[in-house]
Amino acid sequence: MIGSGIKRGTAELAILSVLEEGPLHGYEMTRRIEAQTKGSLRFTLAALYPMLYRMEQRGWIRGSWETSSNGRRRRCYRLTPAGKKKLSPLRKEWAELFGALKRLTKVAHG
Amino acid sequence: MADWQKLVRQRLSNLALEGAEKDEVHAELAAHLEESYEAFCKEGLPEKEAVHRTFEQVADWRDLQRRIFIAKRSGHPMQKRAQQLWIPGFLTLILSMVFLVTLQRLGFNARIVSWRDSDVLLHAPWLVSLPFFGALGAYISSRAGGSRGTVVLASIFPALALTLAFLLMFPIGLILEWIIGRRVDFSTAATALLRDGIGWILVPGAALLAGGFMAQFLFLRRLDFRGTVRH
Repeated sequence: MIGSGIKRGTAELAILSVLEEGPLHGYEMTRRIEAQTKGSLRFTLAALYPMLYRMEQRGWIRGSWETSSNGRRRRCYRLTPAGKKKLSPLRKEWAELFGALKRLTKVAHG
Repeated sequence: MADWQKLVRQRLSNLALEGAEKDEVHAELAAHLEESYEAFCKEGLPEKEAVHRTFEQVADWRDLQRRIFIAKRSGHPMQKRAQQLWIPGFLTLILSMVFLVTLQRLGFNARIVSWRDSDVLLHAPWLVSLPFFGALGAYISSRAGGSRGTVVLASIFPALALTLAFLLMFPIGLILEWIIGRRVDFSTAATALLRDGIGWILVPGAALLAGGFMAQFLFLRRLDFRGTVRH
């Protein structure tokens, strides 16, 4: 079973990565993550919003109400400079972790 | 079609956040559910099934309510307090005082207005400017997510600071008078305190508060998504 720390870490990386492409509201974010990971990562509403609010409190993302072309009001999130700064080392950490796991499994099977 | 706003509000009714913040969470989650439901409908699911699948996203509303509360309160309380009260408050105080000094240097001085056998010192041009400073304090506090109470405090901050100054000046003045051996006339001191209190605290406080309410009304009306989020 994957620990909550790892889950949270990957979730944060996924959210920051999709927001790097531009501002998104919560629902669109889940669709984008699901599509880009080919369904490997899925966020339910219950998993997404506590995460978004926590990241907002940390100052990594900022939410603001916007009206779309069809007149709907949605809370859109965008990366803050602090979030952009956080993304790069986070990517590096996860790349190192996955690289290490890959090497480990190769040794185990090899 | 389900009233998502109402359903979310019912399920997260005990969310321990303040008014506007709580409403925002309700509206945001309702919008998410509505989009999920519409996507399921587009996939060809019957309405009942679409509603069921939409609600499957939240297995435990109580747990979600708890986690949202923890997440929303995870910021540093001191930092939040500074952003919501101290920064807008002191900014309002400094700007209003700088403006007062500038007015006095330009020759716009306070005038004595007689009221019920007593004279009150009023600075009309400064008083006219105060609603704008009050509005500025309220706006900055609102932007930082301040509650209504905090927004009001931020807008009337200069009046609160002057009240504190008056409260300190009165006993200090009495002590000084006592040290130098001068007889203290309490009725004169009380009259002066009341007169200056009206001119420098009550009237400016009311002007700042008017500005604060004006900004709150305009700002909150702009943020009033509740009426527009449903279509």
